[in-house]
Amino acid sequence: MSNVDPPDLAVRPTLRRLFPLWWEQRRLVGLGLACALVFTGLSISIPVLTKFVIDDAIEGSHRNRLLPLLGLIVAIAIVRFFVNFTRRFATARVGIAVEARLRGLLYDAYLRYPRAFFDRHSTGEVISRATNDIYPVRYFIGWGVVQGIQSGMMITASAVVLLIVNPRLALVSALAMPAVAVLTWYFAHRLFPISRLVQAKKGHLTEASDEAVIGIEMVQAFGREDDVRTRFLGRAEAVRHETMRMATIEAKFLPGLLALPTLGIAAVLYLGGKDVIAGNLTIGELSLFITLLLQLVWPLEALGWIINLGQRAVASAGRSFAWLDAIEPLPEAAQPKPLPHAPLAVRFEDVHFSYGTGSEVLRGVDLAVEAGEILAVCGATGAGKTTLLNLLPRFYDPTGGRLLVGGIDTRDADLTELRRAVAIVTQKPVLFSVLLRENLLSARPDADWDEVLAACEAAGVAAFVDDLPQGYDTLIGERGVNLSGGQRQRVALARALLAGARVLVLDDPMSAVDTQTERLLVENLRPAVAGRTVLVATQRLSTIGVADRAVVLAEGRIVEEGAPQALLAAGGPFTALFGDEALAA
Amino acid sequence: MPRNRHTGLSRLFPYANDKRARLTLIGVLAALSAAAPVIGWHLVGDAIDNGIRDDDEGRLLLVVLAYVGVNAAAWILGTATWLSLAGVGQRVVLELRRDLFDHLTSLSLRYFSQQKAGWIIARLTSDVDALSDVLNQGLTTLVVNTLTLIAAIGGLFLLDWRLGLVALCVLPPGVVVTRWFQRRSHVAFTDVRTKIATVTAQLAESVAGMAVIQAFNRERAFQSEFDGMNEANRKANVVAQKLSSVFFPAIEFLGVVATGAVLWAGAYFIDVGTMEIGTVVAAVGLLALVFQPLQELSELYGQVQAANAAMDKISSVLDAEIDIADAPGARPLGRIDGRLELDRITFAYGKDPVLHGIEIAVPAGGCIALVGESGGGKSTMAKLIARFYDPGSGTVRVDGTDLREVELRSYRRQLGVVLQDPFLFSGTIADNIRFGKPDASDEEVYGAAAAIGVDRVAARFESGLDHVVREGGAGLSAGERQLISIARALLADPRILILDEATSNIDRPSEILIERAFDRLLTGRTSIIIAHRLATVRRADEILVVEHGRIVQRGTELDLLGQEGAFRRLAKSLHADGLTSAA
Repeated sequence: MSNVDPPDLAVRPTLRRLFPLWWEQRRLVGLGLACALVFTGLSISIPVLTKFVIDDAIEGSHRNRLLPLLGLIVAIAIVRFFVNFTRRFATARVGIAVEARLRGLLYDAYLRYPRAFFDRHSTGEVISRATNDIYPVRYFIGWGVVQGIQSGMMITASAVVLLIVNPRLALVSALAMPAVAVLTWYFAHRLFPISRLVQAKKGHLTEASDEAVIGIEMVQAFGREDDVRTRFLGRAEAVRHETMRMATIEAKFLPGLLALPTLGIAAVLYLGGKDVIAGNLTIGELSLFITLLLQLVWPLEALGWIINLGQRAVASAGRSFAWLDAIEPLPEAAQPKPLPHAPLAVRFEDVHFSYGTGSEVLRGVDLAVEAGEILAVCGATGAGKTTLLNLLPRFYDPTGGRLLVGGIDTRDADLTELRRAVAIVTQKPVLFSVLLRENLLSARPDADWDEVLAACEAAGVAAFVDDLPQGYDTLIGERGVNLSGGQRQRVALARALLAGARVLVLDDPMSAVDTQTERLLVENLRPAVAGRTVLVATQRLSTIGVADRAVVLAEGRIVEEGAPQALLAAGGPFTALFGDEALAA
Repeated sequence: MPRNRHTGLSRLFPYANDKRARLTLIGVLAALSAAAPVIGWHLVGDAIDNGIRDDDEGRLLLVVLAYVGVNAAAWILGTATWLSLAGVGQRVVLELRRDLFDHLTSLSLRYFSQQKAGWIIARLTSDVDALSDVLNQGLTTLVVNTLTLIAAIGGLFLLDWRLGLVALCVLPPGVVVTRWFQRRSHVAFTDVRTKIATVTAQLAESVAGMAVIQAFNRERAFQSEFDGMNEANRKANVVAQKLSSVFFPAIEFLGVVATGAVLWAGAYFIDVGTMEIGTVVAAVGLLALVFQPLQELSELYGQVQAANAAMDKISSVLDAEIDIADAPGARPLGRIDGRLELDRITFAYGKDPVLHGIEIAVPAGGCIALVGESGGGKSTMAKLIARFYDPGSGTVRVDGTDLREVELRSYRRQLGVVLQDPFLFSGTIADNIRFGKPDASDEEVYGAAAAIGVDRVAARFESGLDHVVREGGAGLSAGERQLISIARALLADPRILILDEATSNIDRPSEILIERAFDRLLTGRTSIIIAHRLATVRRADEILVVEHGRIVQRGTELDLLGQEGAFRRLAKSLHADGLTSAA
């Protein structure tokens, strides 16, 4: 069985996988970077021009330059508005596009993953991997990367300007920078593991919510609200605790990042002030120093966030790519063999199966079902009936031996063709939140309406459809009508009958149907499935009545087989299963 | 929790009530830390005008030291504000989670049958998380930046009111742009949330129904449907991002215009000799302090909106009426004998009544069986006995006391319920059995497990009864889950036991095993059995045949078989004689 829970990808492979998605958006990325460059130049030029306003027009003797300079500043600001808009919009679109792409890839993969994947991972995990988990990736790519590069440009450009204006003062004002760098690194370094921990704790909390909500009837019935509450609150407290740890780090870092650069400003103010007094520096230059140093605070703060975001993004993307890369969809034959165009026989040859945890569920099943035969699969709870049936549509592959449908190993057949040939009704049938009509047709959208009606008649859907508000056009599901368990089973049965499959797999198809209805269904079923190969698992003798032959599964092997009537009289395992039920009659 | 009329985030105000002293302190801290940079700029202006221009190095040094001191204080104040705000915010989140949870577990099954589990869980988790984000960083950003904004504007006027008035020239366009952005982005963000909700719903449904999608080769149809939704979400995001991409640069632009205006006016005032250059430099610096918070506040806007929407959804849960609650003065119930009476009960889930005038009396320790077609009202009767619902009219009495007059939990603790589709909690098999009686010893748990045959199930796993079951019981067959839930009920040792189709998923030998255990399970307690197997119901003292919400026949098996009527018809199918008739 292929690995369905691969370890997260490391940083480098993750970046290697992320890069092509980013590269797809290279035009927007290029536009964003170009705008970032222009933006940096324009943003530096405004304080530089302000310096000239102060030194030449206000302090100096060139009063006539005041309005032209101010006009130039406003003109630059207008250009910067458009450049900044383009930069932000282009970059944001990169992130949004990558988000959509990644989500599309994941969904596409989900559709092809084997059952084992869905056994291993909870619905919540699978959903959040394609929603919440992607957001750090989106923001990192859609903001972080370009913002980070821009921060670098801004720091460099400011440093250059300051060095040109007054190298000595520039070096003094840079005194606080190493401290800022250390603080930023420390921030990103400390925050990341805690933010992961917060996520993990939130996962535990969701688990506690799940059981309280889904299991509410049990909780209330046993009056166990207090225990569940204690567990929930304990986990909520753990989330709070970790969140507070995160807040502590932020609280130390962020105000510090605002405060540290002011040390540089203080130094500039004092030393620069002395220079001005000595006549080596102008007021405008002093003001330029202060303005540029303050302009650096945000890019520096942003770097801290970007590093943290980058770590989260790589971690999230690493998890997603691990799934995309390492989880194999069911292997399909390179040159699939076509199934014969005839009724299909089914043959299990020494089939073994294990879910990977615990012992083998099937331990060498040998079973031949003739084309057109109806076979009942019986056995105690946990004997492996469902497992056996789930091999037919290739929800799983045998871990040993082989399964032949129409003489073709299921692994050699084309998967789509096989699944078109095999229709299954699962134990807990799933209907979709669409119209009843669409649910029925979902297995074969082009079926004639007459066929639909016939299938509904045979499956007992017709018996309750008139009670539904809009008949066949009733919306099913949370926003529509919630059908009862028995009704859902009947719809699922009709859907399978309609699929036009040559092999029908019915896994306890009437367990939630009441006995009287079941009797009617059983009588209708034989003519409805005529000519098809049917495997039906059931706990009820009345359902077995429909079968030509029954087999008894015990501890992963077939221990008895024969006609139901004969088995009943044989005094073997079958009699143990059903004997006294028959005696009651 | 009292009903209140607050909407959105204002719904959180009551949680602040017991934190007033702390909040006042935080307000003072935040105001001080907001004032610090404003004071800083005043000091810069002073350093230029009175230190540098007047060639007074001593004064310059003094002012610079004061500047360093003010900023150091700002750091400490900032940290303290951030920490205490986060502390309060997280406390509120915890209290909200607690209230939400308590409210939920007090709601009756009526609510849970109307709302999908996933929807309810999202309220407890992702919606509260959205609030938590806002209360964590958002609240600090909001408080500090609002105060900084006010302090910076005030500081500007204090520095020189004329320059303050000049800078205000950008206020009208600023207000217009902000209003426009708020209006448009409200629509855009709402659209984004709706679109992502569609995507999530589709994901949830696909994952739940994956077996069917794959079995019927519907992958392509689902994929194209999903692609459409994903694309719609992408487009909605682009629209929302375009708005913010216009807004922030526009504010930035207005900031430059204000700076230009201040420089222009400053030059004039210096010319006429009523101002010095340091004041102008300080004013330009203060303007930056006005526009930076504006930007950060607008960044917050989308987050606050999302939190508002989340709170509205949370409120809809908090406002769901608790229809089954302890009456004022409800008495705790001591150990009951288990005498049950249903007296002229009618009940409706919606408009149409499903039970009409039900009369049942079960003596203490008695056993009744309810049989009949599904949809006839059997399970509803069981749910009324468990007080998952209250009857529309009539009374359910235990030991002669109306159930509505007793403390709910004191009654339910004496109740055991086994359902057709049992829920297993995540934890070990032993944990799940112990659920009914948390203080049970290991021996008791093993005893219950052995009595029901769970030990046989557990033997499949290496760790036996300590095998960890994942939530919902994946990896166990329906029958095995059922056995565990029956062992759970046995261990709980309830006074009244309800078995609602408890054995219909179980194979016959296991059922026989359980029925043997039933002898022990049922003795000494009142029991209500709903079943469709004759072998199961025949042990009852009285069998009630329920059809269309009425009891149409009652008596012992022999009585009923002797009469022409519903039971005989039913018995044919109960007898599982399908084999002979169909084969």
